[in-house]
Amino acid sequence: MSSDVIIETINLQKKYRGSPEQAVKNISLTVFKDEIFGILGPNGAGKTTTISMLCGIFPPSSGKIIIDGFTFEENREDIKKIIGVVPQDMALYPTLTARENLSFFGHMLGLHGKELRDRINNCLQIFGLEKNADIRVSKYSGGMKRRVNLIAGILHKPKILFLDEPTVGIDVQSRNVIRDFLNELNKSGTTIIYTSHHLEEAETFCTRVAIIDNGQIITLGTPFDLIKSHGGAQSLEDVFLQITGVKLRDMNYA
Amino acid sequence: MHKFLAIVKKEVLLLLRDKSGLAILFLMPMTLVFIMTLIQDSTFRTINEAGIPVVLVDNDKDSLGASVTFGLSNTKACSLVTQLDGKPATVESAERAVAEGRFMIGIIIPAGATQAIRANVQSLVELSLADSTMDPEDIPVLKQDSVVITIFVDPVTKKSFVNATVSALREFISQIKSKIIFTTFSEEIEKVIPGKNKSTPADIEIVKYNELYASKDKHFILPNSVQHNVPAWTIFGMFFIVVPLAGSILKEKTEGTSFRLKSLPGSYITIISGKISVYVMVCMMQFLLMICVGLFLLPMLGLPVLQLGSSHLGIIMIALSTAIAAAGFGVMIGTFATTDHQSAISGSLSIVLLSAIGGIWVPPYVMPELMQQLSAVSPLNWGLNAFYELFLRGAGLVDVWQQAFKLILFFLLTMFVAHLYNSVKKP
Repeated sequence: MSSDVIIETINLQKKYRGSPEQAVKNISLTVFKDEIFGILGPNGAGKTTTISMLCGIFPPSSGKIIIDGFTFEENREDIKKIIGVVPQDMALYPTLTARENLSFFGHMLGLHGKELRDRINNCLQIFGLEKNADIRVSKYSGGMKRRVNLIAGILHKPKILFLDEPTVGIDVQSRNVIRDFLNELNKSGTTIIYTSHHLEEAETFCTRVAIIDNGQIITLGTPFDLIKSHGGAQSLEDVFLQITGVKLRDMNYA
Repeated sequence: MHKFLAIVKKEVLLLLRDKSGLAILFLMPMTLVFIMTLIQDSTFRTINEAGIPVVLVDNDKDSLGASVTFGLSNTKACSLVTQLDGKPATVESAERAVAEGRFMIGIIIPAGATQAIRANVQSLVELSLADSTMDPEDIPVLKQDSVVITIFVDPVTKKSFVNATVSALREFISQIKSKIIFTTFSEEIEKVIPGKNKSTPADIEIVKYNELYASKDKHFILPNSVQHNVPAWTIFGMFFIVVPLAGSILKEKTEGTSFRLKSLPGSYITIISGKISVYVMVCMMQFLLMICVGLFLLPMLGLPVLQLGSSHLGIIMIALSTAIAAAGFGVMIGTFATTDHQSAISGSLSIVLLSAIGGIWVPPYVMPELMQQLSAVSPLNWGLNAFYELFLRGAGLVDVWQQAFKLILFFLLTMFVAHLYNSVKKP
């Protein structure tokens, strides 16, 4: 593993219990330090499964994951301390206020006291939530919830941040705030792994993307290189449609 | 420690903001204690204090009638009435009163009952004393005129009450028969050996019964509705934390917080132990509240004061073990459930069933044999039995440690099953 490599997966496979098909098939990829790496793909392509394995939520059926030189089998706690996770679902307690949610998750991330309070206040200010910090999350708009959801994953200034569809279903203003913040975070040294359906956003936001379908990486490269290498493609969306087709994709529940 | 305290704080906040959950946890068992204690109080009083209401019609007006009247009047098991609406009870009025439910049992001693017994005894004595050398025509014939005592029974009367009354009647009849036999024999002997009739009274009590309540430290309390219902519904309420606890675990699974928690540093044991601690604390608060209800509120309604026995340490140990067992069961149900409905229904239904089996609704000692045996599988029964021991039989810590141990084992079992299920269900 090169010193610039922060994540490496080798022949990563996942077959869910009771499922006839593999959700992820032999994914081998390398993510370098300070990258914003996009994992793109249609519904059911295996994006969330891949990210879940990279975060240690569940183990792969086979294959290897190396994160900053650590493996989950040997250094689970070390990995968890350096990663931040922003799940696709609002992973917050709706009846707690934003401040209470962040305080709880901050403690769970090993922060406490003044340091935690300062970080919470700072993040709330950056995301324009300081005035509503003591209102229950259940009363927040979708965009506000997304912002709190994001803050809960970055309070401890992680070395690697996993974002699963962080801007889905929110207004343009919230999306811009989130994107600007993530760019700043990346500049300060956080590597970002990001899944999205929002291809226009991915095109401008990611340094490299992997398009996956049916649990496999179909193509991988910088957005510019991918657009250039696919004849007639004007955008990442064109590349995406050329690779994955125009047929509707729904999850296979069989 | 910071993590553990953060989990505790979070759980407390979540609970405080769940008003319906709090209502289930505190108001429900309190309401149940009030209602069930008041309902069952009259039943317990019937048995313990006033006795079974019995109406007696004495048409005999002789020794048997007098003996039965005297005997039943002096037993605590019966509350005897011989007059109805200011008039001596008759067969018809007694039957009507029992049919209307005013009395559980009606007893009719027929006219001439004592006389019939005397005649039968006289015949028996004469036959016994007959000379074998007598002319067969002179040998007396045994008379057997049956004495029929009618007993009217209210259909709702428990069989055990009827049996107890019939048993008491048999004893009085037996006493009067013995007395008549003795007197008749004495008279016959007097005829043969004059001046020998200096016998002791026939009604001397040769065998006496000394009825004592067996108790560990000479401290005993008769079961009453408060002594049963306060611990019973407290245990029920404590186990009902299964519903909010399972719901809380399920919410974390469905709302995505469980996903985030899995990605955070720290072990699942820290997370679940923080959650369990809060619910155990809630259970202990429930327990304290219900004890206060038994000590202070129920007596205001004219009900007996809850007697706690002598081992406060034993009470705390059993309350804590019950709380821990309930929390374990909640974790297990929350682990199995995949929807809110499943969690709420399976949680509440299982508690209602376990409580019914465990003797919460009706005390185990009034259950049929089979159900009494079945009740031993319910953790609610272990807790209840331990409280009976502590409250009624004056037991101490050493007498109830086995029940506490069983409750802790139940907790460990439920946690193991939940862990096993999580491992098997892991994607």
